[in-house]
Amino acid sequence: MKRILINRELCQGCRNCQLACMAEHTEAKSVLMLDLEDPANQARNFVEADLDGRPVPLLCRHCDDPACATACMSGALRKNPDTGLVEHDRVKCAGCWMCVMSCPYGLIRPDQLAGRTAVKCDFCVTRPMPRCVEACPTGAITLIELESKGRLTKAGLPGQSLAREVEM
Amino acid sequence: MSKYLILGASAAGISAARAIREQDGGGEITVISKDERVYSRCMLHYIIGGQRSEDETRFIEDDFFEQHNIRWLPGREAVKLDSAGKKVQLSDGETHRYDQLLIATGASSVLPPVENLGRGKQVRSLRNLEDARDIIRLSGGTDTVAVIGAGLVGMDAACALAQRGVKVTVVEVAGHILPLQLDQRAAASYERLCKKHNMEFIFNDMVASVVLDEDDNVQGLKLKSGGTVPCGMVVVAAGVKPNIDFLRDTPVDTGRGIKVNEQQQTSVAGIYAAGDVCESLESFTGQVMPTPVWPSAVRQGWVAGSNMAGRPVRLEDNFAFQNSMTFFGLSSVSFGTINPPGESFRVLVDDRGDAGYKKVILQDGRIKGAILQGDISAAGILGALVKKGINISGLENRVFELSYADFFAQKENGEFYFK
Ligand SMILES: Cc1cc2nc3c(=O)[nH]c(=O)nc-3n(C[C@H](O)[C@H](O)[C@H](O)COP(=O)(O)OP(=O)(O)OC[C@H]3O[C@@H](n4cnc5c(N)ncnc54)[C@H](O)[C@@H]3O)c2cc1C
Ligand code: SF4
Ligand code: SF4
Repeated sequence: MKRILINRELCQGCRNCQLACMAEHTEAKSVLMLDLEDPANQARNFVEADLDGRPVPLLCRHCDDPACATACMSGALRKNPDTGLVEHDRVKCAGCWMCVMSCPYGLIRPDQLAGRTAVKCDFCVTRPMPRCVEACPTGAITLIELESKGRLTKAGLPGQSLAREVEM
Repeated sequence: MSKYLILGASAAGISAARAIREQDGGGEITVISKDERVYSRCMLHYIIGGQRSEDETRFIEDDFFEQHNIRWLPGREAVKLDSAGKKVQLSDGETHRYDQLLIATGASSVLPPVENLGRGKQVRSLRNLEDARDIIRLSGGTDTVAVIGAGLVGMDAACALAQRGVKVTVVEVAGHILPLQLDQRAAASYERLCKKHNMEFIFNDMVASVVLDEDDNVQGLKLKSGGTVPCGMVVVAAGVKPNIDFLRDTPVDTGRGIKVNEQQQTSVAGIYAAGDVCESLESFTGQVMPTPVWPSAVRQGWVAGSNMAGRPVRLEDNFAFQNSMTFFGLSSVSFGTINPPGESFRVLVDDRGDAGYKKVILQDGRIKGAILQGDISAAGILGALVKKGINISGLENRVFELSYADFFAQKENGEFYFK
């Protein structure tokens, strides 16, 4: 499976990743056309300031043991055994917020518009690379490839050392 | 080839079946359930309220049993366990042998010892799909319903019935609704909303008896205080008890539920238990107790199934003191201790009236409890801090703005953790 690795030291807090995420989940997929006032446009990733005001990008981990999916009582959240992604099915979702209560990192939230279904990172499944990763100008978020059990096998972007073997 | 037998096809049983199949591709898995269908009990009130069909409460893939090569025998129950012979007898007369047995039979509603409660024809609890169907049918024959108990299930039933257009009166022995989940302030927001939806509350009182006509039809309730509540139907939500009757005269050790160790093993080798049927080590309190919530049942089922199939894992994160609820569009989440138990606790409050309410209870720099109402979007972070007992000294004045940025720690494989 793939995961987005975060290098917080490189983050400049420009929020390009958030804009990219919002745009990717609109019909036009365009940052230029994005209506920031429209609550229907909601990023699934976050850049939060820590105590000292330094930015930290926070993105869904598609956890090996996803607390959100364990808590989900409708079957809407499931870890896909083939891709390792924690997928959310909006039709099944009942908006009970058991997942919101359970994700220790605050990365799944109620939808801003109607407050009916949960919203989380879908890893831009139709794209070769999540749009946020592509949009990050500093390399603060990069893609890594993991074995099924969460072992790192290779880091993906140019400039990164490839084929790093790391034991958990 | 190992023969796995699972009693129960709900949160715990299904989760265990998944874990077994993941570990043991060839083992023979049989699931028995009293339920005719697989459905999420947590959504029964959506059926009553008209938001979901019965099919829409199914929480597994349509082809779950075929896909995982699992034999499912619905509509029958275990009536007798022969642990020496490793056999379970079912209500249909058949006997099933096992190498590894999981008891995930859940719990049933209890009827408190109130005069005539057992006799009234229009008295129901809400636990099974059949109950939801009955409640819908019976509520069509009356326009007034009384709900006994304002816990989560009672309020689920009450609000769903109000959405059907019947007049609902809730009787609760405590001073406000959801006394185990919310404080008085957070409860009051819901009480106001409920009253707008034609609901009434009677607090600090108990039901003395159910008034019946000569054919045992419900006419109303008599209260301990002397008051009466006219109604044509009663929904009882007074708690649950584990489904362990068939274990009588067996060596399987029980207390307030089946006793298990951290691998979900019972006192008998080869027999496991998980979910509402057992009592387990709860993470927040550090005590052994029933943990009758969905996430605990799923987690315990996974632990049981993994161990049954030979992968040794232990129960972690068995956090039962967390609740999430939405009534009439207003959401709340709460964790841990709801009201400060003593002088050594500090309470921080951010009360914005109708726009939202947040409260945190601190002791020695650790969050012991929290309530969020309205904006619950970052609830999970508080939950993790409560569950893990993390010291937040120095961060107290931003306790309502905390995010994972304040705790950021990442493994080389990109997983997060709390230091
Ligand atoms: C209305 C309602 C709302 C709820 N909302 C929430 C919520 O929001 N959040 C939350 O965390 N929890 C909620 N719960 C609680 C949650 O539903 C339970 O904790 C969970 O279902 C427990 O799962 P389980 O697998 O242990 O047992 P159960 O769900 O009780 O299932 C038991 C299974 O065993 C079968 N069975 C029983 N006896 C036998 C027998 N003798 N032989 C064979 N099979 C048998 C049953 O048919 C069933 O398949 C709610 C419950 C209700 C009723
Ligand atoms: S939403 Fe949270 S718990 Fe779920 S996979 Fe993402 S990070 Fe993990
Ligand atoms: S809000 Fe939706 S996705 Fe989250 S736990 Fe409830 S049903 Fe599952």
